[in-house]
Amino acid sequence: MARTSERFPGVEWIGDTGVFIKIDEKKCTGCGNCLKVCLGGCFEIENKLARIRSLDECMECASCWYVCGEEAIDFSWPPGGTGYRSDWG
Amino acid sequence: MQQEYDVVVIGAGFGGPVAAKKCAGAGLKTLLLERSENPGEKVVSGLTIPIYGFLFGPPFIRDGNPPVERPVDGIRNYVIYDVKAGDIEIVEMRIPRPLSPIFAFGYNAYCKPFCTWEAEQAVNAGAELRTCTTVIDFIKEDGYIKGVVTDNGETIRSRIVINSEGSQGILAVKAGVRDKYPPQAISLADTYDYDCPKEVIDRVFGHTLRFCWGFDELKIAPPLGHGNGLMSWPYRNSIHWMQDQCLAMGDGYVPNLRRLFDEYHENITTQLPWWRDEIAPSAKLRARMWEGFEIFVGLDDRLRNMPNYTDGMILVGDTAGLESTGLCDGVPTAWFSADIAADVAIEAIRAMDFSAKFLERYNRRIKAHTIIQWAITNKGRWNLRKAQESHDRKELRARINHQFGPGILTHAGTPLVKSLLHAIRKDPLVIMKWARMFPRYYYNWEHECSSGDRRPIDKQKKRSSGIGWVLFDSLVILFSPVNWAAAWLLEPLAGVVNPLIKVFLPAVELGLGVSIRMEPLFSPVTRWMIDSVKQADPSTFSVSK
Repeated sequence: MARTSERFPGVEWIGDTGVFIKIDEKKCTGCGNCLKVCLGGCFEIENKLARIRSLDECMECASCWYVCGEEAIDFSWPPGGTGYRSDWG
Repeated sequence: MQQEYDVVVIGAGFGGPVAAKKCAGAGLKTLLLERSENPGEKVVSGLTIPIYGFLFGPPFIRDGNPPVERPVDGIRNYVIYDVKAGDIEIVEMRIPRPLSPIFAFGYNAYCKPFCTWEAEQAVNAGAELRTCTTVIDFIKEDGYIKGVVTDNGETIRSRIVINSEGSQGILAVKAGVRDKYPPQAISLADTYDYDCPKEVIDRVFGHTLRFCWGFDELKIAPPLGHGNGLMSWPYRNSIHWMQDQCLAMGDGYVPNLRRLFDEYHENITTQLPWWRDEIAPSAKLRARMWEGFEIFVGLDDRLRNMPNYTDGMILVGDTAGLESTGLCDGVPTAWFSADIAADVAIEAIRAMDFSAKFLERYNRRIKAHTIIQWAITNKGRWNLRKAQESHDRKELRARINHQFGPGILTHAGTPLVKSLLHAIRKDPLVIMKWARMFPRYYYNWEHECSSGDRRPIDKQKKRSSGIGWVLFDSLVILFSPVNWAAAWLLEPLAGVVNPLIKVFLPAVELGLGVSIRMEPLFSPVTRWMIDSVKQADPSTFSVSK
């Protein structure tokens, strides 16, 4: 079943991706860089540490992974046939 | 269940299918793996594929019918000094009529149909395409990569893996082939697709891209000191619109892109006169997407020279950091590198040697490739930040002209001429294929068709241009020894083209300007050329395999 978003038209998210982005709480410093570059709003800060809010609007760009200087973010490709898709890229 | 292949290609974006088609065509048992349901539907790009990709890239694309959205004749740059006061200067570079739009500077395309078309060509050549399959790891034995592990637990053995997973290179980094790129080298492309009537696009854009550049405080195009900007591409019935910005500044500061992109998008779509008055009333937002791309990897010696191969595996395209730093396109370099990777994979299988020592020839060929090296070491876009920092209008205009105006010829001239001569030296008859490619692409665009069997052939109504082509072909064949000799003699001298254009740039700019002003005089010729192509029998443009 495909999900859509009012904020991001023309895009669908397919199936259950599972948690393909993980944050290592021991490494996270709560700098918030992942929040600043994530256009899908996948992150939030709780108790001064970043946590995944929702991967429902993730476009798998891995910007969070790039900007995490502490290597606290582990990014993997979501399972085959799941996640973001669009006809208009 | 364990399966065995000669070659496994990861990723059916722009590069992967090129490698898969060539390997399968050479008789190798080839598997093309794609994590999405359809090739290209996870690829995001504002996409003009520059003409050098088609001219010098894989023959099946040059001689085929890929789905294109609009032929492009050039770039119109809006150098914005004060948007509210209307202080905007235009720097334009385009192929004048009557040559354009049939002879194009590049072609716009959506990723999904184009990548799907490429993957179909690979399958037709004998490759197996498996979608909805994510590679999560490699089979490693004695330090060699000997296949892949997929997300459903399959182990697929192969003699060699060609990795075109994308710019992030998650698998390549996890396998320790190369490092993760720093955020300063990555640009996040915030991309919008607007539905817009074709007649509006024809009137406002024609076949010309529109780029916008400005100083930081305008918050119009997001430069933030890194030469990033705002670009818009006319497609058939839609406009692709992209603002991009590096994830981190030179000092490591990460800007709040989530807030800034929204702010900049709002500013430009409400303040830029031509968008606000001519496009906005008839444009409707159809999609918004984003993707990161490794815009400045090629400019850093360490990053550029990171390994692009290991025992048993070759990295191609964006995975190998081959994004063009100037025109910020990655498709031609993905095609070139995938083509080279396939050659090396075929040679490795013949020699039964998959060691890094053997595969090093891939790196050598990438380093010796004239267009790839020009594309990934071009500092024009990066240097735009100097003008943005200095707030010098003259310098901003000069740097934009140098990178996206006629000044591009002062650094693109040599690689293009050299590649042209090299291709003619290898095959003087390639001229016949180039000559057919332009009208075939234009015909396909006009008739909204992209594959041979969808062409609306009605020979009763078609003009026959057979005699003209017979004459043209005869001349090319007759003069092929002369063309070959001229190419052989001139290729080593191609290095003088850039300095010559630099000296004569004012004359070149004057000539281009005059040609564009004189276009109305040539409009009957332009109309005749377009009508001739539109009404031609499309079989006259086909190239025998």
